[in-house]
Amino acid sequence: MTHSLHRRGDYESLKDDFVVLGCPATGVNKAGSAPKTQMFLSICYKHGPVNLGDMKTGNIYNTTMDDILASVTDGTIVQCTFDNRDKIVDLIKELKERRPGISVIISGVTDVVQQCMQEAGLGPIHSLEYSLGTWGKTERLPGYAVLKLLTMCGHAMIAADLVGKMVRDIKRGRRTIRSCVVELAQCCTCGNFNLTRGEKIFEEVLSTYMVHSLY
Amino acid sequence: MKADKDKCIACKRCFAYCPMGRIQTFHRHEKIHGRIYIEIDQDACTDCGMCLRANICPVKALYQEVEDWPREIRGILSNPLIEFKGSQVPGRGTEEMKTNDVKGSFLPGEVGVGVELGRPGIGAYFRDVEVVAMALMGADIGYQLAEENPVTHFMADKNTGKLRDDVLGEKATSAIIEGKCKLEKLPEALKALQAAAEKVDTVFTVEVITKVTPEGEVPVKQVLEELGFWYSINSKNNLGLGLPAYAFYGDKGGAS
Repeated sequence: MTHSLHRRGDYESLKDDFVVLGCPATGVNKAGSAPKTQMFLSICYKHGPVNLGDMKTGNIYNTTMDDILASVTDGTIVQCTFDNRDKIVDLIKELKERRPGISVIISGVTDVVQQCMQEAGLGPIHSLEYSLGTWGKTERLPGYAVLKLLTMCGHAMIAADLVGKMVRDIKRGRRTIRSCVVELAQCCTCGNFNLTRGEKIFEEVLSTYMVHSLY
Repeated sequence: MKADKDKCIACKRCFAYCPMGRIQTFHRHEKIHGRIYIEIDQDACTDCGMCLRANICPVKALYQEVEDWPREIRGILSNPLIEFKGSQVPGRGTEEMKTNDVKGSFLPGEVGVGVELGRPGIGAYFRDVEVVAMALMGADIGYQLAEENPVTHFMADKNTGKLRDDVLGEKATSAIIEGKCKLEKLPEALKALQAAAEKVDTVFTVEVITKVTPEGEVPVKQVLEELGFWYSINSKNNLGLGLPAYAFYGDKGGAS
């Protein structure tokens, strides 16, 4: 229900962040859904996602596209992450035309998703889920910049301490930002981690993050 | 998750990968002279398997035992690779919102209300999950629990939201309470959740689900704005491309 919903960030940070899910429905179209899901995945792959995967098999930074495709069975839910709205418009156009038949969900800025749908010739959003934010002991949460990275994994598999360690390693010249976002993408098995956005957030975080001892 | 004390060399490489933070302690090996090993706090660990999947341990000391009830629910809810047999969906929730276009789980006039406790990076004990579940069920709003959801399965009384006593001390990386009520009951549901937020020792995210009208109106939007609740600019959107489409408005209204 909430997997890709609670990504934190402002409009600038989220406007080019889209998670596209393909989901068969138990009791309706799950039986015999494997070829439909494979078709959906292949269409998504053609439009150049930055990440793609399924929860059980992993994503393209853990395994191969061939493995992900071959592992699809009836009921598999797949996720593809995009960093560009134009790709989303083209993707929706093709999904509308070829209509794999499984449910298609896009997590992103509501207005942007609606605009993309209209440009692709679809009507209004069918059903929508809003996040009302985080309640309770919010003082226990890490800082907002770190939260932006953490919330890109819907299963909360990215550790705040790992982000801190990566920032220190980048500042010390031990690692590149790219190698860090690839590792974070590996932690997030499903393929929801947007590496392009991750790189931008790291660049922002680096200038504000204090490293007590560089050596 | 445990670390084999005969293999572990306390190199600390696994520490940073734990979504629950620093939950390890150092110990001196009683038989191997000079050897320090780590122990993972079994109460704080949610058996999510992240440290093991990171494949970071140079001596392969980390291992996950097959756990018995009730501890096994930690892995079921925390490890994204484990499928909950009740929902037949890997992970912590259900597919209901994702497939609303073909299943009609959330009809016009209804609103899905979901609460996910513990995310990110804090985790949630089921005693806190019970506080929120009982707040929703006790609000007398006709809240219908999602049957396939793992937390619903752990309830001793689905009318009150009371969980089984043997799970209350267990902890998950996150756990989701899912259900729905009538749109007019949404203010009371949110009020109950505000009160519950004062009582829990963790965080929870709140989400609402609605069928968008064929004219593009989002029915919950007005309610949230009137009540002054913040909602995010980003959302999860079902495009309505699933087949066969559920007829929300009967034969005349089409399937949109």
